[in-house]
Amino acid sequence: MSIITTKADVLKTVKDKQLTYQQRVIAMARASERLFDPRELLGYTDEDVMYLENNFICDLGEGFAFYRPRYVVPDYSVFVKNGSKYFELDPPKTIDDVLDGLLILYKSVPAEGALTVWVGHLDKLIEPFVTNEVEDYPKIKRFLNHIDKTIPSSFCHADIGPEDTKAGRMILKASVELLNPTPNLTLKYDKDITPDDFLELAAKTSLLAAKPNIANHKKYTKDLGNYAIVSCYNALLLGGGGYSLPRIRYGTVAASCNSLDEMLNDVFPKVIKSQLNMLDKKIDFTVEEAPFFKTHWLVKEGFIKQENFTGMVGMVGLADAVNHFLKLEGLNETFGKSVRGDEIGMQLMQLHNDMVEAHETKYCAATNHRYLLHSQVGAKINDEDYRNTPGHRIKIGQEPDLADHMIQSAKFQDFFKAGTGDIFNFDQTYEKKPEAVVDVIKGLIDLDYRFFTTYMENQELIRVTGYLAKRSEMEKYRNGEAVMRDTTFCATGTDDIANILDRKVRVDGK
Amino acid sequence: MENSSTLYVNKFLPLSIVDGPGNRIAIFTQTCNVACAYCHNPETIVACEHCLKCVPVCPTGALTVVDGFVNYNEALCVDCDTCIKTCTRSSSPKTHTYTLEELLAKIKKYKMFARGITVSGGESTLQKDFLVKLFPKVKDLGLTCFVDTNGFTKVEDMLDLIAVTDKFMVDVKTVSHFERLIGKNIKFDVLDNLKKLLEMDKVYEVRTVIVENLIEVEKTVIETAKIISNYDVTYKLIRVRSHGVRNSKVEEISDNIPTVERMQQLKILAMEHGANKVEIL
Repeated sequence: MSIITTKADVLKTVKDKQLTYQQRVIAMARASERLFDPRELLGYTDEDVMYLENNFICDLGEGFAFYRPRYVVPDYSVFVKNGSKYFELDPPKTIDDVLDGLLILYKSVPAEGALTVWVGHLDKLIEPFVTNEVEDYPKIKRFLNHIDKTIPSSFCHADIGPEDTKAGRMILKASVELLNPTPNLTLKYDKDITPDDFLELAAKTSLLAAKPNIANHKKYTKDLGNYAIVSCYNALLLGGGGYSLPRIRYGTVAASCNSLDEMLNDVFPKVIKSQLNMLDKKIDFTVEEAPFFKTHWLVKEGFIKQENFTGMVGMVGLADAVNHFLKLEGLNETFGKSVRGDEIGMQLMQLHNDMVEAHETKYCAATNHRYLLHSQVGAKINDEDYRNTPGHRIKIGQEPDLADHMIQSAKFQDFFKAGTGDIFNFDQTYEKKPEAVVDVIKGLIDLDYRFFTTYMENQELIRVTGYLAKRSEMEKYRNGEAVMRDTTFCATGTDDIANILDRKVRVDGK
Repeated sequence: MENSSTLYVNKFLPLSIVDGPGNRIAIFTQTCNVACAYCHNPETIVACEHCLKCVPVCPTGALTVVDGFVNYNEALCVDCDTCIKTCTRSSSPKTHTYTLEELLAKIKKYKMFARGITVSGGESTLQKDFLVKLFPKVKDLGLTCFVDTNGFTKVEDMLDLIAVTDKFMVDVKTVSHFERLIGKNIKFDVLDNLKKLLEMDKVYEVRTVIVENLIEVEKTVIETAKIISNYDVTYKLIRVRSHGVRNSKVEEISDNIPTVERMQQLKILAMEHGANKVEIL
């Protein structure tokens, strides 16, 4: 497979019946970024290119002429304080000013996929302007609906909490009434700050609307400082972001090895070294060659600072790699229900982690000059993704009972300072008992869990790998129609790969 | 009565949302002192006698013979229940006998997700001497201790258990003519027993499974409602289901399932007689 775009690829994009106009423009732009040989443009090694070609490493189709960071996390409070010179906007005085101003900014916040992945800490931005809940609620609801239609990508994320606010409650209420996939939503939870009844409201909302997710605020604050949860629960610094996200397909790398020893002592370290090199080279280009950090209004007006960006070290397919080695060791066990499997998984993660922590970087000042591990949730880039389960997750169909599942995944979440998450699908009886979901959340926090997502069986909104999709829209896309949200076709691909619709339903704690 | 150094358990559930407030660790004990016609887990009623007839029929090798006793390996079990269907006494070999240390270790493993434990059955009070030792140690873990009981154990006979139990979830099966439901006649004042527990502030909820003809439906609902009228206790009226009952009882139960309207009427009846919170399941 060639990693460099050809004219034929461009023509294919031009003729693709299942792309909307906007999606087509984005795909064309991305194709042009990949017209270059990364060895010449960026200084990738032959080995780097080999690992991209043999699918050991996937760069998520990011361009080589990489002219802006993948994830941009603006500190929108700058707008509340100063307005924006670039947009000729005064600081907002009313709720109308702040909501309208934010909608203006969003359309110019760049991202790898061209649609912004973060719309802000919404409750904090809106709360100071809430004066009359009856009048303000429809405005907030309309604002959220506007985001869903104009940023049609469920990778777009908003955060609330850990404080209980009027704005936060209105956002939860509107999420249930709208049932829109976008924006994805996370509640930062801190048991010393977030009241139980607000957590219970969030739990109930998540059963009905498949959001908010819950982030362990204490843990992320300790690891990162002032953070935000963006896109598919990437944890990044506020006023900064993530440059790029190459991911190692553990399952694919493992399949080439005849023993765990060969993986740990030969192949895997080489692949990790290559992954880190690609990040170094791409980030050098973005910071030194591309004008983004010198000219963009977000930088000039103080919404973002280059030193708050970091490189994200992605991985998928831990379960598949472990299952491969369990088989080689003659064990009839699978990752998630195997003590030996956890040991192997831990060895692989520890090696990756150690090499990342030993690697000093040039442009990641705020993360101690280090890149951060991210448990990537997968996407269907090519057939190799059928052999790689999202991040460190247990393969669908091999899940243990709920409590054991959570205890197992907690062990691995610790590695992923730049984000990870697990998804649990509850059956309808939980709707009558959201306090049971609250107990689960508190238990996970006790286990030092980072991030947790739930949804309820048979609702229209379904949690795919990190983002949300509508069942009805997935059906339309399968029937060959173009659909508004780009994540829907990601979802349809992932649905084929991982049978997300067969995810274990948690009936009464099982 | 029982060996108080171990607990004979049919099932341990790390998370249950239907056995009291919040998430709870639910422990279902093996053996019961009655055999209700509608029992939907009749394999918990009698103890396994280790006749070993179930061992050769297990398709996955989860059952083996160790020292003349049937041994159950949960990891290999696929819950096909062939063993239970084969058992001539309708018992189950899928049980565990826990020592205090073993059970506490298992509770500790899952305690972060739970508000407490609920011991159910079978009939859990039959093994009360073990529970009396277990509960104080569970409370030390910050968990509450609930007991789910069929209501046929006299308060006077379990004062030590009551002292260490936070709340009971109590059945009022019926108020008289027990033989139609449990196959034997007994002299037992279930309401007086319930009253004593209420006065001790030890009741979380009261339940009656509604099955026509096998219980004194109206009388049971009215009398129970009156007794709980001064307490903040939920009264659950459960519409009987034939799912899971013994083959010999399926027809009898199916013929006596109350209508949905009837359940609504009974709810109104209970409220008219003083029950503050009534739920239909």
